[in-house]
Parts: sequence; C-alpha cells; structure tokens
Amino acid sequence: MFPVLQSSLPYLLQGAVYTIVLSAIVVVFGTILGVGVGVLAAVGGKALRAAVTAYIFVFRGIPVLVVMFLGFYSFPAMGLRLDAYTAVAVSMIVYVAAFVAEATRGAIAAVPAGQLEAAKSLGMRKGMMMREIILPQAMRLLIAPVLNISLMAIKQTSYASIVGAWELSFAAREVVERTLAAFQIFLGVMIIYFVICYPLSLAARALEKRLAFDH
Amino acid sequence: MEAFIVFFTRYLPAFADGFLITTWVAALAAPTAMIWALVLIIPRLARWKWLTRLVDGYVEIMRNSPLLVQMYLLYFGLPLLGIFWSSIVCGVIAIALQHGAFLSEILRSGIQSLSQRQWEAGSAIGLRRSAVIRLVILPQAFIRVLPALGNQLIVLVKDTSLVSAIGVMDLTLTGKVTIERSGASFEAFIAVAMFYLVLTTVLGLALRVVEVRAARRYG
Repeated sequence: MFPVLQSSLPYLLQGAVYTIVLSAIVVVFGTILGVGVGVLAAVGGKALRAAVTAYIFVFRGIPVLVVMFLGFYSFPAMGLRLDAYTAVAVSMIVYVAAFVAEATRGAIAAVPAGQLEAAKSLGMRKGMMMREIILPQAMRLLIAPVLNISLMAIKQTSYASIVGAWELSFAAREVVERTLAAFQIFLGVMIIYFVICYPLSLAARALEKRLAFDH
Repeated sequence: MEAFIVFFTRYLPAFADGFLITTWVAALAAPTAMIWALVLIIPRLARWKWLTRLVDGYVEIMRNSPLLVQMYLLYFGLPLLGIFWSSIVCGVIAIALQHGAFLSEILRSGIQSLSQRQWEAGSAIGLRRSAVIRLVILPQAFIRVLPALGNQLIVLVKDTSLVSAIGVMDLTLTGKVTIERSGASFEAFIAVAMFYLVLTTVLGLALRVVEVRAARRYG
C-alpha cells in the first residue's frame, strides 16, 4: 500500500536509532546537570542564585533551534572541533538543563515548610537537611515534570536536522528529496515519533494523576 | 565586544526585518491556534461521541510528534495535491494545528476543573446547554487557565523559529544568512538570541499584567 515507505523503512528506522540515542544522551545529562544546578541554587549564596536565575531566564527565553545554531557556530570559535551531532547534543543538554533546573527549584520550594522546621529543630545542618529531608521529597515531585521536559526534548531532537545532524528527520528529508513521496514518508515518520513519545506521555499523565491524589 | 557592536549595528536593519517577520508569524499563528483550539473542544461539549474520539486521536498525534515534521508534511505534501501555499502560510498553519491541540487540552482541563454545580446552576436558571457553555463555563474556564495559555503562547513564539527550515526569512534564518554574508560566526546568533529574549520577555510581562488584572477583576 505504501511502497516508498516500506522500502525506505529500514533507512528511517536507522535514523530513529540516532534520534533515540541523541534523546537519551540529552535527557540523561540534561537532567543530571539541571538537578545539580537547581540544588546548587537552593544551597548556594546570593551570587550563585542570581547566576542560576539568569541562566534559566536566558535559555527558557530563546528557541532551542537558536541555541543549537549558537552551539554549532561557537564551538569552533572556542577551538573545539565537534561534528554537528555532538554540537547539537551539547547545546541541547545545556538547554534542557535550564528547564530541569527551573523544575528542581519548584520541587524544592514545594516541600512543605514544616519539614524544614522539623529538620532544623532536630539540629540538622543545611547540607544534611538538603540530603536527608528536602531532596528525597523533592525528587518525587520532580519525576512528572522531568518526563514532560524529556518529551519536549525528544521532539526537539528533530530540529538537529536543520543544523545538519543526521537523524530521523534528516533521513526523512533525504528520502523525500529522492522519491517525492512526502505524504507517506512524513506521516510514517510522525508515527515513528509517536511510538517513541506516547508511552512517556502516558507515564507522565499517570504520575501527575497519582501525585495529585496524594494531596 | 567592540567588534560585536560594530557587527550588530551594521546588520541591525537585517535583524530588524527578521524580527518583524518573526513577530508577524507569531501574530498570525497565535489567534489561529486559539480559534482552532475552540473548534476542537466543540465535539466534547456537544457530546458528539465519535467526533470527540477523533479529536482525541488528533490531539495525541499532534502532541506526540515534532512540529518540524508536521510542517514538512504540509510544505512538501500540499503541492502534491495541487495546493501551492507560500512557506509563511504553511508555517503558520502547521504551528496553529499543533498549538491548537495543546491549547484545547489546556481549555479542557480548565472546563473539567469547574464544579459540576456551575452546570446545574446554569440550567436551573433556565439556560440552554449551549448558553451555559457560552455564558457560564467557558468564561470561567478561560480565566482559570489564563497562566497556562500564556505559557503556551510563549512556546508558540519560540516555535516560530522553525519556519526558517522551510525558507521564511525570520530572525533565525536571518542569523544563518548573515553568517554566510559577513564572515561572522556565533556573533550573529547572539544577536538573534537577544532579539528572541526581548520578544519573549516583553510578551511574558504583558501576559503577567493581563493575568493579574483578570484575577483582580474576576478571581
């Protein structure tokens, strides 16, 4: 029924592997960096907090595509020779981390004040309070937002094709340029992305619901 | 820094043009998306079962696949059907189709968050269901989800950068073209990023004012 899609499916699936690998790298390192930055802002002094606020403000205010281009053109200027795929990965990690950092700050702030007071009255110091009381509760609140940010990131990896990194969307454009079968290929590719994203989407929604019932 | 200022002032007219195009695309796409979102919640409110299911499927697919691919589908697919729309029209429609889905989800959650009594009260004073929706439910739901709608609007503005991929000379594409012309490199995208930051910040502040006013008046 869809001859072009069928014959080019192996090629597209190879692209999907690149998309999944890129997504995994971005999500894992973006989350680690973002949580780190968010926690740092919570325990650090005024200057550090201001720096984190500025970082979050700047990156949340510009499109990810612009961040990709910015990375793609600035790494060579810094003397780093990175291929498009790596440049996109690094840029996206920094971008995604800003969103995760914001979510982390929100999750830390959402831990009830009574918990803090209880920890203080036990004579805990700031570091221990963070590690033993605040973070375990904040991390739980963080799961659903991080899943949603991951979904955003997976879809945004497709913009890597504009910068010139080869992945699913790039592969799709190559096939369409060769065969002109725009409908089959782009619809097929949308379905491949859907298959990757939908389970995460369902998980995020289920978690949101479960956490909402706790209150 | 000095080199950047020289570069920036020299190419300011080009960036200003790109900025206008970006604003124009956003100004076209945002109301279109909002209207599309309102259309998308009609079947649920009117209790048309099959159409509701169809809309749900559409919303899930739109939310779980990249805007870029949806845009390519329109831009490269429509000519095969003999429809030749400009890249700016394709871009605006693609943005409206996806963001309409997101906005309709937000509206739906707002409607669901209202108490069942609002419906009952409306019908108790003799309003028909369509009037209850129009006069009682939608206005309250709208006020309630105003912050979420505002956030989505800012995402929409950032998403307009994708029209550069189908050849619209917006801020992002201006950045790329300037690099090719001037021999500058990342400086161009620092300028582009600054313009986007101004746009999203001003919009964010304006939305905040609207939210506070709405909360004071209706909250």
